[in-house]
Amino acid sequence: MNSELFQNMAPNAKRSFVVTITFAALATIIYLFCVQPSTSELATAKRKLAELQDKQYRTDLDLRRSSTVTKDLEELEAGLKPFREAMLVPLLESYSMRAKSLLDPLALGAGLNDVTYSDEPFRALPLPNPMPRQLHTRAAVKLDATGSYQQAVSFLLRLEKEMPLVSLRQFDITAQQNPRIQSISIVLEWPAKGGLTRK
Amino acid sequence: MKAASFHLNLLKPSETLSSSPVRLRIMLPVGALLACIGLLVWWGVLFTQIVLTKTQAHSIEEDLAAKNSAHAEAIQKRDLARELKLQLEQLEYYKSGVRSIGEPLAKFAEVVPLRVQLKEMSITPPKPQVLLPPGLKVPLFGPTENVETQKLVIAGLTTKETPVVSLMESLETGFEKLVTSERKINSFKQDSAEIDGRKLLSFEVEYTMPERRFAK
Repeated sequence: MNSELFQNMAPNAKRSFVVTITFAALATIIYLFCVQPSTSELATAKRKLAELQDKQYRTDLDLRRSSTVTKDLEELEAGLKPFREAMLVPLLESYSMRAKSLLDPLALGAGLNDVTYSDEPFRALPLPNPMPRQLHTRAAVKLDATGSYQQAVSFLLRLEKEMPLVSLRQFDITAQQNPRIQSISIVLEWPAKGGLTRK
Repeated sequence: MKAASFHLNLLKPSETLSSSPVRLRIMLPVGALLACIGLLVWWGVLFTQIVLTKTQAHSIEEDLAAKNSAHAEAIQKRDLARELKLQLEQLEYYKSGVRSIGEPLAKFAEVVPLRVQLKEMSITPPKPQVLLPPGLKVPLFGPTENVETQKLVIAGLTTKETPVVSLMESLETGFEKLVTSERKINSFKQDSAEIDGRKLLSFEVEYTMPERRFAK
């Protein structure tokens, strides 16, 4: 019936119908194969541009802050310097031998005798949040000696003056027959490098 | 000679009177053509936008590539600063927990009464740290507590109780870095030692020392 209708149409109307159908088909093709892909391509390009602009903004911000960070780094290095200088580092893998090299002049200066050094268990420091990669710990060395109470105190006073970051963990003085030769035992703590929290 | 021409009026009366006397057979193809042109224009606009967007993105990429090494350095510095800040924070914990008691110990010798002979003075070891609490398989990196409490034990001999009381009273002021007011008399009893024919008394007093607080 449709073909009959088309056959019965006037030639002008037929031409008009064909032209309309052709343009409509062309419009559909343009929409489906040109406009729609371009729309999605533009959306992708805009998204990528937005990401890049965001990255550029962050990069510029990081670069602008770089001078501030350099200043912060200098301040942090200055803050860490006393700790680095005070840190107990092993001497030929022995912390007690390092302690001996540091403490002998003070112990002898205070008049302590028979001074011996031995390693004590380290104690962990509380952790900041988030954790740093490099942890620090409390290295400990035990000093056994003989001498008077005054000599032991003199040693501690010298130590506190020369090494203010060394801390007293334990102290024990036991009287012997001779009051000038007491048995003295002191456990001292230093800051020291500990383990790594991540590689 | 001109051929005779016919002019047929095919307009219907409704079309003659309508506001738009253009016929449908003209309007439809023109409308379809206009739709095609409109879509082509739209496509053109989209294409231009795509080109502009891509050009802009490319220039940003070039800019980022130029800043890449400087940015990497800035990031490295920032990460280092963050790491050093955390390390310093942990070392500040250490610093706040440093115990320096040389001065009070020196002063202590001055307040010990003549009739007291000290036999032992000791700072007890702190409690062991628990780095592997029950239920955990992997040890912790640090302790859960940031405070340590220790005791100062003073043991000696005396002839009577008053010198010990005097010693304890002396320790009440000026020894805040060494002891707190919390104390316990562990023992006070007759000793086997004698002096001038008099039996001596032995005593042991335990003081709680100020806390070592490993915190900011």
